[in-house]
Amino acid sequence: MASAVEDRAHYSLDTLEKSPTKGNTFNPDASRIPSAVIPSTSPKDQPCSSSTNATPQAVISYVPPALNIDSGPVPTVQNVVSTVNTSCTLDLRKINFYTRNSEYNPSRFCGIVMRLREPRATALIFSSGKIVTTGTKHESSALLASRKFVRIIQKLGFNVKFQNFKIHNMVSTCDLRFPIRLENLNQVHGQFSSYEPELFPALIYRMVKPRVVLLIFVNGKVVITGAKSREETQEALDNIHKVLKSFRKS
Amino acid sequence: MSYQSYRGTTLGNTLQESLDELMQYGSITPQIAFKVLLQFDKAINNALATRVKSRLTFKAGKLNTYRFCDNVWTFMLNDVEFREVQEVARVDKVKIVACDGKSDKN
Repeated sequence: MASAVEDRAHYSLDTLEKSPTKGNTFNPDASRIPSAVIPSTSPKDQPCSSSTNATPQAVISYVPPALNIDSGPVPTVQNVVSTVNTSCTLDLRKINFYTRNSEYNPSRFCGIVMRLREPRATALIFSSGKIVTTGTKHESSALLASRKFVRIIQKLGFNVKFQNFKIHNMVSTCDLRFPIRLENLNQVHGQFSSYEPELFPALIYRMVKPRVVLLIFVNGKVVITGAKSREETQEALDNIHKVLKSFRKS
Repeated sequence: MSYQSYRGTTLGNTLQESLDELMQYGSITPQIAFKVLLQFDKAINNALATRVKSRLTFKAGKLNTYRFCDNVWTFMLNDVEFREVQEVARVDKVKIVACDGKSDKN
């Protein structure tokens, strides 16, 4: 693991030396490298004017691959599912009647479906007082959305609390940008994976640590689900990235 | 029971005004007026369901608010454009109350 980090640091140094813009554009990845591994020749030592000979086009064409190699694949969170308990029995008909953007169809579903514009989120509100918030792309917006939903209910005169807020699931995606030999992977990692191309085109990989499920597609796109935190997602992606590199299609 | 929502139309309003007048003159009893209104509900629901063939389309710039309560959809629309072949009408705000047309056939 340590060697990998050093590796990344090397790449970043490389890019920094070639960059004419003194590392401004590289701040995002620099944050992923522990500051300790950046040697003393940090970008600050470079004079601004030294690299005027590099044409802008050359720089632009160079940066994207460097960014990618440097930081390793980073998952983008697509959905966060969280729950919160108001510890208060809710009169769903009343809530439905007095709120906007809510649907309540007891014959089809026993909860209210309520949506929020900012942050964009959907809540399922149950008469037990529990609320499930889905659809946000960040943990913080899941928390904010949950608070807003609880606040809406509070304003209707219910004696609500905000208890046991918990993120239950995070779904992330990532594009590794190389094709993968799924049959081969399925043979070698049979205890974790299942691959039925006639049923579903992706290989389903049940990772044990961290306990997440990954859908791996031939074109190198990966979906990570079942994670409870961003760290778990990143760890799972780092693990699978190492594995998949050896199953790269020629 | 048919929907009573059409009592708020021009036709329904004028009918209610006439009935009120007749009641003031003492020509009819409130019970009869009530019966007339019920008959009106039944008739207009039936007529709109069976006799109206015209169509128009509308398109909203934005769905501001929606609600589904007691099998009734309520939509608040912004920047709506109504179209009937060539005629076009633009409205800033429209509220649509949509009831179930099928299950309540009685």
